[in-house]
Amino acid sequence: MTADPTPTERTAGASRLSRHIGELIFAVLLFALGLYALIGSFAIRVPTNAQVGPTVFPILVSVILLGSSSFIIVGVLRGHFGPAEEGEDIDPNAKTDWLTLAKLTGLVIAHILLIPLIGWALAAAVLFGGAAWSLGAKRWWVALLVGLVVGLFIQIVFGELLGLSLPLGPVLSWLGPLI
Amino acid sequence: MENFDLLLEGFSAALQPQYLVFAFLGVLLGTAVGVLPGIGPAMTVALLLPLTYTLDPTAALITFAGIYYGGMYGGSTTSILLNTPGESASIVTAIEGNKMAKLGRGAAALATAAIGSFVAGTIGTVALTLVAPGLARLAVQLGPADYVAIIVIAFITVGALFGSSPSRGMASLGVGLFIGLIGTEIVSGQQRYTLGLLPLADGIDVVLVAVGLFAVGETFYVASRLRHGKVQLIPVTRGWRSWMSRDDWKRSWRPWLRGTAIGFPVGVVPAGGADVATFLSYATEKRLSRHTKQFGRGAIEGVAGPESANNAAAAGVLVPLLTLGLPTTATAAIIITAFQTYGIQPGPQLFTNQPELVWALIASLYIGNVILIVLNLPLVGIWVKLLQIPRPYLYAGILTFAVFGAYAVNFGVVDILILLIIGILGFFMRRYGYPVAPLVVGLILGPMAEQKLRQALQLSQGDLTTLVTQPFAIACYVILIIFVGGGLWLKRRQARFEKTFTEELAIAPAPDAGGDLAKRDTP
Repeated sequence: MTADPTPTERTAGASRLSRHIGELIFAVLLFALGLYALIGSFAIRVPTNAQVGPTVFPILVSVILLGSSSFIIVGVLRGHFGPAEEGEDIDPNAKTDWLTLAKLTGLVIAHILLIPLIGWALAAAVLFGGAAWSLGAKRWWVALLVGLVVGLFIQIVFGELLGLSLPLGPVLSWLGPLI
Repeated sequence: MENFDLLLEGFSAALQPQYLVFAFLGVLLGTAVGVLPGIGPAMTVALLLPLTYTLDPTAALITFAGIYYGGMYGGSTTSILLNTPGESASIVTAIEGNKMAKLGRGAAALATAAIGSFVAGTIGTVALTLVAPGLARLAVQLGPADYVAIIVIAFITVGALFGSSPSRGMASLGVGLFIGLIGTEIVSGQQRYTLGLLPLADGIDVVLVAVGLFAVGETFYVASRLRHGKVQLIPVTRGWRSWMSRDDWKRSWRPWLRGTAIGFPVGVVPAGGADVATFLSYATEKRLSRHTKQFGRGAIEGVAGPESANNAAAAGVLVPLLTLGLPTTATAAIIITAFQTYGIQPGPQLFTNQPELVWALIASLYIGNVILIVLNLPLVGIWVKLLQIPRPYLYAGILTFAVFGAYAVNFGVVDILILLIIGILGFFMRRYGYPVAPLVVGLILGPMAEQKLRQALQLSQGDLTTLVTQPFAIACYVILIIFVGGGLWLKRRQARFEKTFTEELAIAPAPDAGGDLAKRDTP
């Protein structure tokens, strides 16, 4: 069963290569993190009276990171790749959809910027509507409308009734004294 | 007897009307969120954490007990009714329930899973009640060096046994330990690895990491390869009568008990969590059954046993969690976080310092189990509706709720940014086959490990041999070697078992729509 490649496997050859390069880069980044942990530990001041200073554990951690990432790098170079995670909603034959990922990342950043400007509920509506639209919801205005309902629901239940301090924003500021 | 009185007191607390409402809500929410595809128990608990922020500790813990058991159970409904392969870890068991549903026996599969979960959950909770107080009394006498040994066990088993390869698990653990280092060091009061950034001075909140990895990371990962098109569900015949026939009962009760007997001990010892338990139970049932040929085509034993093992393991995991403060799965790690939010430190002191709280929690586990079975079978219709939520809306909702949870930690937008960065990390970890559970466990246990290690070495005046000369610690390290050896052997067996098993199924002509199974199995 493993011998003959299926058609999807052949067409996916190019993207497979880029995935393997990505895996190598990720492992190298982990190695770099280990190096940073090791170098950073020298910057930590050790009190004179301490038997075991605050650097011992960081050095242990950096050893774990450096060791395991070296193993992975060698493994990846020899062709041992990690199997990607599976799941109910994941199409194993689909190509990686980087555009959607970029949209989602952008939406979260937009949400961060919008909270102080237009309040939590509306910023959440933008996030929800935008995310649903990016993920393939057919009608963008339905997505936005559902997002508005979700945002207002959370704002009213958690913000106003349960007392979490979610900013209302200029548009909804009349809601506070009402509840 | 003394424990029994305490348990009764716990019941009298947990049975108060307002707490019953919280237990009910917890089970309902936990199951509802757990049923949603793509959401495992760890993510369920992480996502629902902000809901409990406004409650008092007892109410919050009771809600959590419900969420925990509900979330554990919810997944089985998904794999039985959804026409796609379930989580890879429990693929054989997912196939079994799925096949039953395709043969029109979905109701029986759901029923045996629900009743099995109830039986296993209840027996598991009884075992927890009996074992935990004694273990806590024993654990009080443990010194720092003993704790170091226990934590090393947890690190190595979680790191080496979770995920596709030990090195990837250890790398994930290392990242978690590193994130745990970020912030102000307690003893000398200086900042480590904060890059001089103010938001990092207090360290990175565990909630952000858990929600970021499980909710945001998973959403990103699913988004990158989303299965488009209509959600395909297997219809289930309604009505009480079609649930379980007399024959189904006869074939189910032994697997329930055997699954419990396998699951609970596996949950107690840090040996790979529920995956190992479900696999062991499945393999056992396949060997013992008189209907071996049916396995892979909808054998009820293959649902009853593993489902019970899964829930018994969930109860077992609470033993080291409550008595030692030691999380052995990602879900347990997030529960510890929830405890800490309320200033409760799980560990041996918990049973002596806050007995009312612990026993109310244990009592609510019993109650949660009863609510679970009362709720679940009649509500199957609602769960089916939940499974049909269009995926764009489902994942948009998960993302929005995750961001809300992050914002609710401190009401600062910088937390959302940290959440996003950790979500992206979670995406790449999933993509390249790194398990995320060791990261969360490392993050929680890292600071505790450092503290105990320094205490131990302070006591011994810097003599390293203190770590390995205490009898308890020696015993721990011997057990560790057995666990890792045995665990890796089991995992290899599991992989081989699944491989030959799926090949067997692909070759043999399946009685039902076996075509899609064969397609799914081509690598």
